[in-house]
Amino acid sequence: MDANRPVIKESKNRIRVDYEGKISLKERLLSKVKTFNTWIKVIVNIFRFILMLGVSYVILYPFFARIAGSFMTREDVLDATVSLIPKNFTLDTYKYIIIENHYFEALWHTALVALMCALIQTLVACLIGYGLAKFKFKGNTLIMGAVVFSMIIPHKTLQLAFTQHFTRFDLLTVQSWNMKGIIELIFGSTLELTDSFWPLFLISLCGLAFKNGLYIYLMRQFFKGVPDELEESAYVDGSGVYRTFFQIILPLSIPMMITIFLFSFSWQWTDQFYTSLFWIDDIEKFYMMPDIYRNIPDTLEQYSALAGWDIYSNVIQNTAGILIILPLVIMYLFCQRYLVQGIERSGIVG
Amino acid sequence: MDEKILTAAEDNSEAVADTQAGEAYVTPADLNDAAVIDSKTGLLRTKRKRVSLDSKRARAGYVFTLPFILGVILIYIPILLDSIWFSLGDLKQGYENGNAVSWIEWNNFKHYISAFTDSKGFVVSLFEGIQQLIFEVPAVIVFSLFIAVVLNQKMLGRAVFRAIFFVPVIIATGLMESINAQDAVTSSSGGGINDGTGSSAGAGIVSTLDIERLFATMEIGGELVTYVVELVNNVYNIINYSGVQMLIFLAGLQSISPAIYEACQIEGATGWETFWKITFPMISPMILVNAVYTVIDAFTRTENVTMKFIQGVYTNRPYYATAMYWIYFIVIILIIAAVAGIVSTFIFYQRKD
Repeated sequence: MDANRPVIKESKNRIRVDYEGKISLKERLLSKVKTFNTWIKVIVNIFRFILMLGVSYVILYPFFARIAGSFMTREDVLDATVSLIPKNFTLDTYKYIIIENHYFEALWHTALVALMCALIQTLVACLIGYGLAKFKFKGNTLIMGAVVFSMIIPHKTLQLAFTQHFTRFDLLTVQSWNMKGIIELIFGSTLELTDSFWPLFLISLCGLAFKNGLYIYLMRQFFKGVPDELEESAYVDGSGVYRTFFQIILPLSIPMMITIFLFSFSWQWTDQFYTSLFWIDDIEKFYMMPDIYRNIPDTLEQYSALAGWDIYSNVIQNTAGILIILPLVIMYLFCQRYLVQGIERSGIVG
Repeated sequence: MDEKILTAAEDNSEAVADTQAGEAYVTPADLNDAAVIDSKTGLLRTKRKRVSLDSKRARAGYVFTLPFILGVILIYIPILLDSIWFSLGDLKQGYENGNAVSWIEWNNFKHYISAFTDSKGFVVSLFEGIQQLIFEVPAVIVFSLFIAVVLNQKMLGRAVFRAIFFVPVIIATGLMESINAQDAVTSSSGGGINDGTGSSAGAGIVSTLDIERLFATMEIGGELVTYVVELVNNVYNIINYSGVQMLIFLAGLQSISPAIYEACQIEGATGWETFWKITFPMISPMILVNAVYTVIDAFTRTENVTMKFIQGVYTNRPYYATAMYWIYFIVIILIIAAVAGIVSTFIFYQRKD
């Protein structure tokens, strides 16, 4: 540092150096404005911002349109002059859906199923992903292949077999070959698991439920990014494999687990395939979210003979859609930070 | 190094066991230069010990993956076999000792053959599905990579944009997908709620005419014009389908070391060069993952043309539809292999040493 520059002590641990050749802020800004690159940067920034704004609009527009539509009366919906803002504001559509379509019952059931499944799936994906990423054993690649296979196969391919297997549930049995499974051999009869939570819990527990292949893959990639030294130092300190996993690896992977949890929760929430597959009893109906959307409330059904029904029924179904995703949106508002964070810090590599 | 320490620790317990068994006493000094002992007393000992550590690890591996292994063996494989069997036979019902019984009777691949010969519906929808896929995969990959790169940069309101861009991942799946699909209100076909201009977001943003006029001066083929028009008009769907891919790309971008970019900047590379010479090769393994994922996602989606067609058949003839699903599955595997083959030609793996 130059000796002739005065050093001013500003506070206990801050100093300021004044020197004569200091360029004023105004001059510095002016010189920046004059360069070509700055202008390019500004233009690129503006362009990028507008582009992002545009894409955001495309994403959000349907939601706004649906929310607007949900407050309209039938007359408003059919009136071409009414656009996003309703003339006759009404909450009737919501009222009828909530009361006549058993909304709260469905909400409770779906929340229960989604929460339990998401918890089980996240934990199981974590276990399997860790096993596949960090241990070398015979059949490691075979298991990974099975995971990918379970992801590729359209679940509808198995729907017939799924329903049949869970109406007469047994382990290790091919029903069309009239085999007797383990449960039948021990207890004498098969179990009927349909119209209960059990089928979903069971396949979640095995990591075979909807999109679980993706979760396992993501977890595996995440654990591959965790340095081996971390575990090795734990082993040296005398910690076993399982203790290391639960005390060191598991806390470490919480951000990633939150991401997986969000995925599995929301995808289970909006799932309509498994719920219709395993809840088949129509008489003692187990109301879930898809029922809200599929059935039109009786009071509103009376308009079905009138003109413009196809548009109005769409508005009703959209309103049901809003009611279905409302809890998800609320959850997302609180958790979206973790969604991106978890995956960003994961250090996932090909 | 740590492994060696572990082996030494195991050695210790083995040594104690050995003494109890009445073998030669092994002093701690011997243990310190275990390598010498090993080479003298024979490889068998060291080998056995190494295997024992490895097999210990392997056992832990089996324990961690046990839920999946059990699930596959006890539940999944039987279901798979049943499903294959259903597709190969017809349901027969009859009486046996006065009880009603039903069984599946082998029918010489009748379902598989008639899927191709009965009506053209299946084959047509299959080709339509593949056509859509060829359109969708490049669009989704390019779009999600682009958005991920932009979202990775520092910009005004980045947090808000990120929050908005990942809304579709959470919300626009499953049930909402079918609501979107048959929704006339927010698509151009129904036009219930107009947003004033007569067109609505996502659908019908541009007409073919406008684009054609634009491209006419550039002398570019007609196929590209239709592709671009479809692209722009399907922008809503493409955004909805590329949520997970965006997340995976974002994770990949984050894992590229900033030091490389710094070095590039110092060497005077422009942003364009940096993208093609650094970002793109480094992200290329992710492109493979995403390409495969996009294919899987596109094919197993409920709103897929082929899936819808087969589901229509399923309500009346479930066994026949199961056969169709299996044919469809084989087609998917072939296409995934093709896509993976194409993409892996330009993949770059960073050496990690």
